Amino acid sequence: MSASTLSRIDIAATHGAAGKATSEPAIVRRLLIGIALLFLLVFLFLPLGVVFFTALGDGVRVYLRTFRDPDTLSAIRLTLLAAGIAVPLNMVFGVAAAWAIGKFDFAGKSLLITLIDLPFSVSPVVSGLIYVLLFGLQGLLGPWLIAHDIRIIFAVPGIVLATIFVTFPFVARELLPMVQAQGNDEEEAALTLGASGWQTFFRVTLPNVKWALLYGVILCNARAMGEFGAVSVVSGHIRGLTDTMPLHIEVLYNDYQFVPAFAVASLLALLALMTLVVKSAVEWKSQQSAKHRANEEEMSA
Amino acid sequence: MSIRVRGVTKDFGRFRALKSVDLEIPAGQLVALLGPSGSGKTTLLRIIAGLEFADSGTVEFGGADITDQTARERHVGFVFQHYALFRHMTVFENIAFGLRVRPRRFRPSKQQIREKVHELLRLIQLQNQAGRYPSQLSGGQRQRVALARALAVEPSVLLLDEPFGALDAKVRQELRHWLRHLHDEVHITSVFVTHDQEEALELADLVAVMNEGKIEQVGSPDEVYNRPASSFVYNFLGNVNLFHGRVDDGKTYFHDEAAGKPIFVRPHLLEITRQPNGASHFRATTKHINAAGPLVKVEALTDWGATVRVELSQAQFRALHLAKGEVVFITPKEVAVFDKDEPGAGEYGPATAR
Repeated sequence: MSASTLSRIDIAATHGAAGKATSEPAIVRRLLIGIALLFLLVFLFLPLGVVFFTALGDGVRVYLRTFRDPDTLSAIRLTLLAAGIAVPLNMVFGVAAAWAIGKFDFAGKSLLITLIDLPFSVSPVVSGLIYVLLFGLQGLLGPWLIAHDIRIIFAVPGIVLATIFVTFPFVARELLPMVQAQGNDEEEAALTLGASGWQTFFRVTLPNVKWALLYGVILCNARAMGEFGAVSVVSGHIRGLTDTMPLHIEVLYNDYQFVPAFAVASLLALLALMTLVVKSAVEWKSQQSAKHRANEEEMSA
Repeated sequence: MSIRVRGVTKDFGRFRALKSVDLEIPAGQLVALLGPSGSGKTTLLRIIAGLEFADSGTVEFGGADITDQTARERHVGFVFQHYALFRHMTVFENIAFGLRVRPRRFRPSKQQIREKVHELLRLIQLQNQAGRYPSQLSGGQRQRVALARALAVEPSVLLLDEPFGALDAKVRQELRHWLRHLHDEVHITSVFVTHDQEEALELADLVAVMNEGKIEQVGSPDEVYNRPASSFVYNFLGNVNLFHGRVDDGKTYFHDEAAGKPIFVRPHLLEITRQPNGASHFRATTKHINAAGPLVKVEALTDWGATVRVELSQAQFRALHLAKGEVVFITPKEVAVFDKDEPGAGEYGPATAR
């Protein structure tokens, strides 16, 4: 993803330098920019503004009171817990999958690549239902789970599972092109120099993909905290127990508690904005180092 | 340490990259694996390194069978065509890598590592570049760092995959000489892969010519160039004129479609005269003359319509007063006849006819 944005910027830059022959008339340019800005205003800035406006509509004290409510606190805790488990697990899985696909040839490789994308293509509701069908009362493993007094559906484990499933392509997808582009040479060099598999991984492979990995983790985290559909199906909406932040917002809203609903929503929006800031910083930083390297390559050539 | 490869076969899917290859490399030699792309030379090198495993056959280092050892256990120094330097490490860290990843018991102290790295930096003449990153170096410098990195672990053998392949002609030449000097100093058994015959002949003590997964000939540069064992080797090492003819009683007939066998003559082994000269001459018309460079290259058209390339010295050329479109007589000083076009069918060996 980051690579494609980079190249797009490059293309735009070269077009600009190419001169006026290829650029559009001023009116067309202004119209297009105007439409784009209007669209952004209506569909992005306005809703975001409304969230914060409504949340703070009755004053800061009312706003802050929302966060003393035990149900809200429990929802925040649960969201952080689900993300805290899902993100590290998906990081490990993503690195393993990208490594396996990028560095080795094996039967069923293209099938694995397709399967990694499955959570992207399947509706989150269906993802949730899969877990209900597997672990629910009437589900495949339901009777066995009840016999052993293990609760997954309508409990925290189900929420964590659903979150893991929905967010699992992010890290792998981000790493894969990077790992494939780099090839095996450096790893082979490390091996001939006597490094073990772990040493090769931690000293050679990981440092080479660290920016892509960080980027993937950030996106994965954003999705893990914001996931609604799949989690909604497996949660059962037990207040104070199985409500995550997105679910809690819905419950509050349906109870006509607009200010608390928007207050929690504003917190989620803030988290999203922070994620975007961190994401941009990471992108900028990795571009800087890439540019730095490219520049020096030119100078030494 | 000597290297011995016996009966090594390797398949990639349905493609047979190596067909029961045997090769012996004496200790301390600098050996070239020479061949066109797809001849299996890189595969053979990677099997020696342990980066690839043979489907059958054995590899020995100094008489010990190491077929089942991994690259890590073999203690080889491997230099990759595209350097494969660790891009996030400085030159110093790259060279030190092999020493730093050793198990604690065998790891030299920091001071020892620093001394070793600086000694190698002096060897590759990059003392002032220790803190630079690979991307800040030129191609030739990178290749030297890759070499120093491989030498840092004091490998038993040094293996180089197309070491100069990605460099421009001038740097290539310099690095070639430098590597030869280095080898004369260090005396480590070294094998390098190349498709450049000039490079192999100039640099190596021993040249193994490979074609289609087989070794066609192993010999000194002088041997493989002057006494090629097969038509392939003759063809691959230097320019060549190919005729279909026969040799009878020391007389060479250059044009015999029916009973013809492949006859090879190198351009510099043909002589141009104004008058018929000797028994094996033939007539041709000069078509193109290129007098730039130490040798004058003449292209001529034979009576039967084939193009012949002749190389003569500037002095000979001046003495002849040769111009385009003139009829001349061409006499071979030496020809090589092979039974068939197939590689490995050189039973006749080079036959001399005057």
